[in-house]
Amino acid sequence: MRRIGLTTTVPIEVLIAAGYHPIDLNNLFITSEDYGKYIDIAERDGFPKSLCAWIKGIYGACIENGITEIIGVMEGDCSNTKVLIEILKQKGIKVYPFSFPHTHKEEDVEQEIKKFMEIFGVEYEEVEKVRTRLNKIRALAKELDRLTYIDNKADGFENHLYLVSLSDFNGDVEAFENELMDVIDKIKGRKAKKKKLRLGFIGVPPMTGDIYDFVEKFNAHFVYNEVQREFAFPRADKAANIYEQYYDYTYPYDIEFRLKEIKKQIKERKIDGIIHYTQAFCYRALQDIIIKDELDVPVLNIEGDKLNRLDARTKLRIEAFLDMLSDLKEEPK
Amino acid sequence: MRILGIDLGSREVKIVLMEDDKIIKKQKISTMSFYRDYCSYDGKIIVDLDKLQIGHVDKAISTGYGRNNTDLNKFITINEIKAHVYGAFYQTDLEEFILLDVGGQDVKVVKVEKRVSTDLELNDKCAASCGRYLENMANVLEISLDEMSKYYENPVGLNSTCAVFSESELIGKIAEGVSLDSLCAGVNYSLYKRLKPLLTKFKGRKLVVSGGVANNTAIIEYLKNDYDEVIRVDDPQFNGAIGCCYYGSRFLK
Repeated sequence: MRRIGLTTTVPIEVLIAAGYHPIDLNNLFITSEDYGKYIDIAERDGFPKSLCAWIKGIYGACIENGITEIIGVMEGDCSNTKVLIEILKQKGIKVYPFSFPHTHKEEDVEQEIKKFMEIFGVEYEEVEKVRTRLNKIRALAKELDRLTYIDNKADGFENHLYLVSLSDFNGDVEAFENELMDVIDKIKGRKAKKKKLRLGFIGVPPMTGDIYDFVEKFNAHFVYNEVQREFAFPRADKAANIYEQYYDYTYPYDIEFRLKEIKKQIKERKIDGIIHYTQAFCYRALQDIIIKDELDVPVLNIEGDKLNRLDARTKLRIEAFLDMLSDLKEEPK
Repeated sequence: MRILGIDLGSREVKIVLMEDDKIIKKQKISTMSFYRDYCSYDGKIIVDLDKLQIGHVDKAISTGYGRNNTDLNKFITINEIKAHVYGAFYQTDLEEFILLDVGGQDVKVVKVEKRVSTDLELNDKCAASCGRYLENMANVLEISLDEMSKYYENPVGLNSTCAVFSESELIGKIAEGVSLDSLCAGVNYSLYKRLKPLLTKFKGRKLVVSGGVANNTAIIEYLKNDYDEVIRVDDPQFNGAIGCCYYGSRFLK
């Protein structure tokens, strides 16, 4: 099977139907032992210091792992990605375009997916067959999510790790399904681990994966990972077809649409506070203004850069935030 | 319900007693005298409440400079960031603000949104932006701290990073015949300049100022240029101790 690199989640059903083996370059970058090497490769090639580390990491991962074909998301992702794709194209990597249309109209999404299917020469029925197959795994991801916020058995990091992996099914659908089933079985056998504070993690998946363990020291746990959950398409079973599935997906669209789902989940999951993670130099940091205004619960914005661990100052900020949030929960209403 | 709050500062210990959410007693004792005359040590520091003429208390909460020496027997210890934010809640009724607390040796800047701290910055390594600097400079000028703090116009330029070098720089200005008003304003302005880098990350509209340095009129005047509203709490030096009481009455079961 031919490998194809992804810079963000795209209709993977089309690629699998076309016989491709999709690889999320984000996961390739961040799970690598020497993730820093990928950033260095990009900086040596001229990527500025003042640029999102994800962009640099994706670039390094793509070059270093000999990826020769990628999907370039031209709309619905950031402008840095756009230029990244242009650079990769110039380096001789074959780029297939895909767009999440800004209009966010059902018919426009349908049009884009149809174009995508045409590029890869696959029929609607073939894609739906793959979708039905993948939906079984998406149902498992939903179960793992429930084990996090209802049963309090899966921890925040497990939730993050497995949901984010659905962007490319870890490169092997069958193996990933088996792994997920085993993990769910193991988690089900645990005792519930209730913590005082229930947190939501919103924004792009973090560079700093240790945040999940860190908050647990302060009697808190994450019961919601916004974007990771979106990557797993929790509403796929309600979508009548592939077009609806990728229409009802918040990540690439406007903040208003994202916030609707976030608000729903805050209520449903009884969330006490939100940690809004943004990457240094990313436009998404600006969305924090709207987010803080729109949400009723306290929001802490933290920023990650190149380091894959929380720095001392951020730890202190999180500690003070959780300390006061914990008091607030005690306050008689 | 009688709640006692103690803030163990680097220069002074501030004591506040509240009864049914009202302050009924405030007291300041030099830190040295507090440990020497009002405490004994038996594994933990024991505070002599009778000697302090406080009598019975239902809850006692302490905070202060460094965590170890604030660990008083029969007291619940809270961190000083929280104590100062809660003090500001009690004294201002605001829920969103930036708090600047400048004490004898430390500076805290805390951003508060929806009644929770979301960002903070503390001085480390150096305390040249703190109250002790003002005290030393007032000594050099041989005037009182209160008097010095009134002047903010035409500040003479003082540019040393180090508080000790600043003293000789000030003496140089005295020798040049600079007026006392300008010298005083220069001292105040130099402290403001040191606070500024800490504050630049904290853009906002309302600044609440606490700690002993809040009594410095000149610094408040300079800060007014950077914020829409600068609020000096009524009892700036007791803010931490008030925050301890606030924590005791609101949150502590």
